[in-house]
Amino acid sequence: MADVNVTGKMKPAVTAAKKRHPMLEDFSATFKAFTRNKLAVVGFSITMVYFALTILDYVYPAYLGVSNIDQVTSWVFPLTANPPTGPFIIPSTAAATAPHWWFWFGTSLSRQPILPIMLAALKTDITFTLEVVLLGLLIGITVGAVAGYLGGVVDETLMRITDIFFSVPSLILAIAFVYVLGYSLNNLLAALVILWWPTYARLTRGVTLTVKSMKFIEASRASGASKIRIIFRHVIPNVLSPSFVQLSLDLGTVVLILAGLRFINLPIISPLIPELGTMINDGNSVLVGGYWWAVTVPGVFLLIFTVAVNLMGDGLRDVFDPKLRGL
Amino acid sequence: MELRFYIVRRILVLIPTLLGLTLLMFLLEAMIPPALLEIPYFNPKSGISRTIQLHNAAILLGLNLPLPLRYFKYVWLILHGDLGVMNLAGYPGSVTLAIEQAFPNTIQLALFATILALAIAIPLGTFIGARPNSVADQVGRVFSLSGFAMPAFWLAVMLQIGLGKNVITGNPFGVFPISGSVPDVPIAPSFYTNGITSPTHIPIFDALLHADWSYAWGSFMHVVLPTLTLTYGILAGILRFIRAGMVDSTYQEYVRTARAKGVPERDVIKRHIRRNALIPTVTVMGLLFASLLGGAVLVETVFNYPGLGLLSVQAAINFQIFAVIGSTLVFGVILMVANLIVDIVYALIDPRIRY
Repeated sequence: MADVNVTGKMKPAVTAAKKRHPMLEDFSATFKAFTRNKLAVVGFSITMVYFALTILDYVYPAYLGVSNIDQVTSWVFPLTANPPTGPFIIPSTAAATAPHWWFWFGTSLSRQPILPIMLAALKTDITFTLEVVLLGLLIGITVGAVAGYLGGVVDETLMRITDIFFSVPSLILAIAFVYVLGYSLNNLLAALVILWWPTYARLTRGVTLTVKSMKFIEASRASGASKIRIIFRHVIPNVLSPSFVQLSLDLGTVVLILAGLRFINLPIISPLIPELGTMINDGNSVLVGGYWWAVTVPGVFLLIFTVAVNLMGDGLRDVFDPKLRGL
Repeated sequence: MELRFYIVRRILVLIPTLLGLTLLMFLLEAMIPPALLEIPYFNPKSGISRTIQLHNAAILLGLNLPLPLRYFKYVWLILHGDLGVMNLAGYPGSVTLAIEQAFPNTIQLALFATILALAIAIPLGTFIGARPNSVADQVGRVFSLSGFAMPAFWLAVMLQIGLGKNVITGNPFGVFPISGSVPDVPIAPSFYTNGITSPTHIPIFDALLHADWSYAWGSFMHVVLPTLTLTYGILAGILRFIRAGMVDSTYQEYVRTARAKGVPERDVIKRHIRRNALIPTVTVMGLLFASLLGGAVLVETVFNYPGLGLLSVQAAINFQIFAVIGSTLVFGVILMVANLIVDIVYALIDPRIRY
């Protein structure tokens, strides 16, 4: 509201260059409200760090698939003071190395340093999660807005279909879907998108019902805009916020589903491909040997991400849905 | 509207959802090539030729029928309690029997986790809800948030490390067994093997009914860690809603009236604020129960606890199609019944909802 001064009057002279797009104006107001919640800002920052690590790992992979501590080609070592050169002296009895200045989080039983594998695992997890929620969002918003706007039989059918998807816990339905489609990461992606769009469709439909009776929709209808144009140009931009809030919370849920399914050894991806659930499972199998770091470190790494995402989602909900503030 | 009409109407609404659920399960099954559905029915020891056995299986499952008729056949088989066959070590050959054995264990776990979560969340929620924005409130907020975010399987592993028997040598807190649901005894108590004298099928309750205290205690020790893991996940949701409900109803007119007429503060919180705060909490119990069941799949696998979740995971890993579909269907039905109960409880405590 930069153009409106305290008395509520418009400033007399606003140059065209200074005037910002109303949506941008809206965004900056939302952003200001969001930054008032310190915990949410922390969550947002941590999430961004995780995304940045993912992108960095795409550009400059820390783990090339073969590295163990004898042949490491990672970008982690330049960060340490003494990059290891020459052969290591590791007691031959110890298969795994405890956290060490060279290996910040220790090494796994196969003598692979955990940190670079964990970063590669993060890449797998976060890429997958973003794919699921964004595809689900795309489908869900379109279907929800169309159904909400058209109403009638279309709407009724949609609601009944989403009812069915909500009638089974999503993790269990995901197992059944990926079983039928065949075990692979892409099929799990498809299964989760099929399971996730109803959430966004429902939320979007709910808001669409209130938006569609507003004046600006009526105005565009009166001016002869087609239904498709109204839905995509006028309805959808105004019904996004609940889905965005849900999306930020779902980032945590989806990553836990992938990690969980890999943890219970569902053969979705090869155990050789780094993935956080796989790492926790590997660590769990050698736990009795006293190698506590192999299971603790990936778990904490995953937990920090899910907590951060939840903090961020809470903050977004406070901003977009004042009714639920403080919940 | 009278309560019983409301309940009848609510059950009638369940029918389309149930049909939809069976339709979804049927479509999943129909996506599997028919040949793969026949093979589990082949028994090499029966003496009947393979061709005839597979043909009989195709007739039984309606694989020779067009899809819509096959769906009716599928529903018909479900109604007759036939969910197909499976071949997995440690499980009976019939999926229905396997589910029958696993079901009470999962119900036991879900029941204990729900009760424990409510027992902790209601007093705790009352406490922090009466003191919004205090230190206790902030701690509670972080606590409940970490419950949402916690990977259940990782928490289970951590509990095994900290409290599990024989995981870390010399751990004084390691008293809880980390695998199974009943104690290892040389001869299982008669009530456990003899179905007639096993009225509830839930090990702890049966042992208590038969006054076999050591068996009951052993079974109880087995469920402690899985229950704690599951409780942590749903505790968060309940706590959050009770707290929000408390804060909402603190500023209502009737609370001010109660205070004005001199009702003691304890009674105001207990009888006026908390009672109304519990109403919205009931509505989220259905949702939380869904997450509880999802968590049960992972937790049962970690603790090797012979419930429905372990069954469905074992089946999925070992390619037992009928067990996967069957256990998913049963999970759906459990969730539906849970939601039905939630709605009825809601109608009981809040008469406005019936209209």
